Amino acid sequence: MTVTNHTTPPRFVRADGPDKVTGSGRYTADLTLTGALAAKFKYADVTHARITKLDVTTAQAMPGVFAVLTQADVPDVKFGPFVQDRTLFANDVVRYEGEVIAAVAAVDAATAQRAVDAIVVEYDALPVVNDIEAALSPDSPLVHADWADYGSTLIRDRNDASFASIAKGDVDAGMAAADHVVRSRYVADGCHAAPIEPRAVVAQWEGNKVTIWTSTQVPFDARAGVCETLELPNNRVRIIVPHLGGGFGGKCGFHYEAHIAALARAAKRPVRLVFSRREEFLAPDRRREGIVYDFETGVKSDGTIVARRAWLALDNGAYTADAGFFSQLAAMHALGPYRIPNALVEAHLVYTNHQPSGSVRAPTAPQTCWALESHTDEVARAVGMDPVAFRKLNAVDTGAEGPSGQTYGEIGIQQCIDAAAAGAGYGQELPDDEAIGVAIGWWPSFSVPSGAYVKIDGDGSGQIITGAQECGTGAVMTLRQLVADELGMDAENFELVYQDTSVAPYDMGATGSQTLFNNGRAVIAAAGQIAEQLRNLAAEHLEASPADIVLADGVASVAGSPDRGVPIAELAGIAAGGELLIGHGSGTPPGAPPIVGAVCVGDLGMAAWVAPQFSCHAVRVKLDRDTGVARILHVSAAHDSGTIINPVGATGQVEGAVLMGIGQALTEGTTYDADGRQRNAAMLEYKLQTCADAPPIDVHFIQINTPDAGPRGAKGLAEAPNVATAAAISNAIAQIVGTPIRQLPMTAERVWEALAGQHVVNETVAV
Amino acid sequence: MSFLIAQSVDEVLAALAAGARPIAGGTDLVVGARHGKAALPEALVAIDRLSELKAITETSHGVIIGALVTHHDIESHPLLTTVYAGLADGSALVGSPSTRHLGTLGGNIMNGSPAMDTGAALQVLGAEVELRSTAGSRRVPIASLWARPGQTTAAADELCIAIHIPKPEGSSGSAYLRLEYRRAMEIAVVGAGASVTLGDDGAVAALSVALTAVAPIILGLTDLQSVLGLGIADAAAAVQQLASAQATPISDVRASDRYRRHTVGVMARRAVEAAARRASGEVISTPVNRSIGIGAAS
Repeated sequence: MTVTNHTTPPRFVRADGPDKVTGSGRYTADLTLTGALAAKFKYADVTHARITKLDVTTAQAMPGVFAVLTQADVPDVKFGPFVQDRTLFANDVVRYEGEVIAAVAAVDAATAQRAVDAIVVEYDALPVVNDIEAALSPDSPLVHADWADYGSTLIRDRNDASFASIAKGDVDAGMAAADHVVRSRYVADGCHAAPIEPRAVVAQWEGNKVTIWTSTQVPFDARAGVCETLELPNNRVRIIVPHLGGGFGGKCGFHYEAHIAALARAAKRPVRLVFSRREEFLAPDRRREGIVYDFETGVKSDGTIVARRAWLALDNGAYTADAGFFSQLAAMHALGPYRIPNALVEAHLVYTNHQPSGSVRAPTAPQTCWALESHTDEVARAVGMDPVAFRKLNAVDTGAEGPSGQTYGEIGIQQCIDAAAAGAGYGQELPDDEAIGVAIGWWPSFSVPSGAYVKIDGDGSGQIITGAQECGTGAVMTLRQLVADELGMDAENFELVYQDTSVAPYDMGATGSQTLFNNGRAVIAAAGQIAEQLRNLAAEHLEASPADIVLADGVASVAGSPDRGVPIAELAGIAAGGELLIGHGSGTPPGAPPIVGAVCVGDLGMAAWVAPQFSCHAVRVKLDRDTGVARILHVSAAHDSGTIINPVGATGQVEGAVLMGIGQALTEGTTYDADGRQRNAAMLEYKLQTCADAPPIDVHFIQINTPDAGPRGAKGLAEAPNVATAAAISNAIAQIVGTPIRQLPMTAERVWEALAGQHVVNETVAV
Repeated sequence: MSFLIAQSVDEVLAALAAGARPIAGGTDLVVGARHGKAALPEALVAIDRLSELKAITETSHGVIIGALVTHHDIESHPLLTTVYAGLADGSALVGSPSTRHLGTLGGNIMNGSPAMDTGAALQVLGAEVELRSTAGSRRVPIASLWARPGQTTAAADELCIAIHIPKPEGSSGSAYLRLEYRRAMEIAVVGAGASVTLGDDGAVAALSVALTAVAPIILGLTDLQSVLGLGIADAAAAVQQLASAQATPISDVRASDRYRRHTVGVMARRAVEAAARRASGEVISTPVNRSIGIGAAS
């Protein structure tokens, strides 16, 4: 185990970097195809209503309009990865403002918009479900009156679209044995991924096959959605992703590819959709879920946690996108990386008439870590313990049993706490308007199938043909290094061919921090086949045994006799005249670890984690007491994500995620009006952090060569650094204010209200 | 739609008389059109090439700032960042570096937003606006330029030519602060500008305060006589009370009226304190938002 501080990381040039920096890179919205039409959508604009009239005849008759589609024009398919609760276009009832009712293809965007405006829709209003908790009441109006008829394997009841619980030990007995019981309530507002590139889709049919260029993080998932809803086989749908202008989870899932493919088929022309910023905010079923939390923790006077009870209600929004597993995932984050012998967490994923929730970078984690870790500081305070010492005492460790009954191999959470606290100068004397807050977090690695090919041509140059998708993390870029190392060649020898479902084998996409973890395994396996070919060729050439051939520095040589060698490029030339150098790889994903002693209702495999990642963030905050404005002075982020293969990329992931975490902590939150419409669906009113706001960020990696993980013991890293920042900020603010801010984001006004004594006081019960 | 690239002020005035609207940096007009706030006018006359409107001229009476002087020009100008530092405090906070290179002072004041970052400083510095049409020129005190949000008292055919700021007298200083949730691409939640002249005894001899984003237009603080003669700390505290009392803020997605009413008092107090420190000869670099207080590098 080594602790490395990569403040001056070695040079690593991304293969896609020059394109993006110089502006020569092409994104989906840049594509032009001869005869292409512009697409525009007709949105519901109301949040809950029954459609009584939908008339597109005027729109269809307008000059320049080539196609107008509604649900009547596409197969009658209900889809959804966890609950099949929606159709491509609104069918009878609309359930959120950004729901698509109809789509138009016309000669240009202005004509398409005029046609959209000419579509006549009339409604009977239905009662709006706007409050997560009220939606669980037995007398709440239903978002889906036909919920019981939907296909699903989740545990559901009326507006509760996915119930999950994790139970271990005897929580009542645990609470009874506690010296102190601390109860608190927290509320997290929803927020957005807000990628800088609003999404775009271009579709073109050739015969009975369609090619779709789309700004997705998950090309194979997008293909699956098109095939399901338009009833096409996989091999007639080709998804290509040009450069992707960021995703942050917001471009996971299947979105508008089928709408545009259907439009292109009806119009008999290529069709292009480019979202406005406002559409990007309102329409996609991907925004971070708001959650309501009630926590109760029993603790001994010596600081040992003996019991945890938690109740969570998550805002599912109007449809269940990939949020089906969020209830169990949030339940795990409500337990946190702590040794808790007696626990009961219950989590509900609740339908409302809001935009649907979906995977945004570490779904459920930043806000649940914020709530749990804020609560944890309250618990530490109740027993008079220092927050860092309290975490050191109660956090899991190598060989310890976690709160869901999983026992961990070698992990580095304790080292993360030490490194983050030391990096922040924790314990130093500070001005009375400053404080350092500390929080710990965790995140799973996702073990899934993945594939790749590698080939080396006659000139010795290679290509990696991978199903993996690049969303800005640089994970795909790192694949070149893995292949080069396997073959004793230079990474610059390899070009990447990626983001094309008809060319490369399956990969889950830029989601779940899984690219390096799984596709790394695949490319190493593929390169390994070529390595074997090269060793056989070299053995023949050098009259040695293949087992003695070493591939290094572009040369195949005999072990122990470095002067007996042949350049790999020369072997490639020989192979070009015989058996070609082609490798394919997938490898076996590591299996899920066992859990012992816990009972999970609504289990979706989220209670035990392969190669779990751990983190600790320590953040120094300065607070303007007169206004409630918090300024982040310094962040110290320590991560156990296993072996770090590309330190530049890894450090960038942490820095970006920390800045995103600061935004979630302080300024990023969706507000709704009384009808469930977003009030701040614009970049001016939905405030992302800017470079000018970025504090110094120290990154510490606790590198453990983790077994049953990715290549060389690497875990994931794309989401983990987004988990603990907001929580650490909360704990710093709470020290200065004297009480936690109980709603996320902790806006300046909310902090000011807390300073003015208008907060809700939590209840501490001395037993 | 027509787009005329004007070569002279006379050409602009003729186009305005014929119904065209002027465009300089376009940072409000174009962005607003893209966001659906208001469509671009049918006839535009581009004034951005008129070099005679780009000058910053120091005179014996003060300074004349051409309407096309950009925020970047202001934030980097030796005279404006010292003698007229309150204005530079405001310009340095506008948008992003690219906004500040394109956006002009004339555009900022003629756009008429009550949240503009230069308005409060110009008002406390006693600025006048020079307007010209084919019928002739006139100068109006800047406080009477603004009618309501997005609306000025200038006639449709009048072009903003320049902003005239009188030379501050005696031991004077000015400052502008705003409440901001982030440090770039931001609009004032509230803001306040102050101009302070100190007497020989160190007390406040003259004082002007204007508030940003708490009324339909930039709001000049009244009833300041009681503050004159007070020491700086007492004067600043009194101004805080007056500002919170006189503000008429609204509640919107950025802040509640209560929070605005409170924080505009805080900004006004700090603006008076910073202006007084400058008046006493202390150099506080622009913008004040970054050099002292919560915005400072700790």
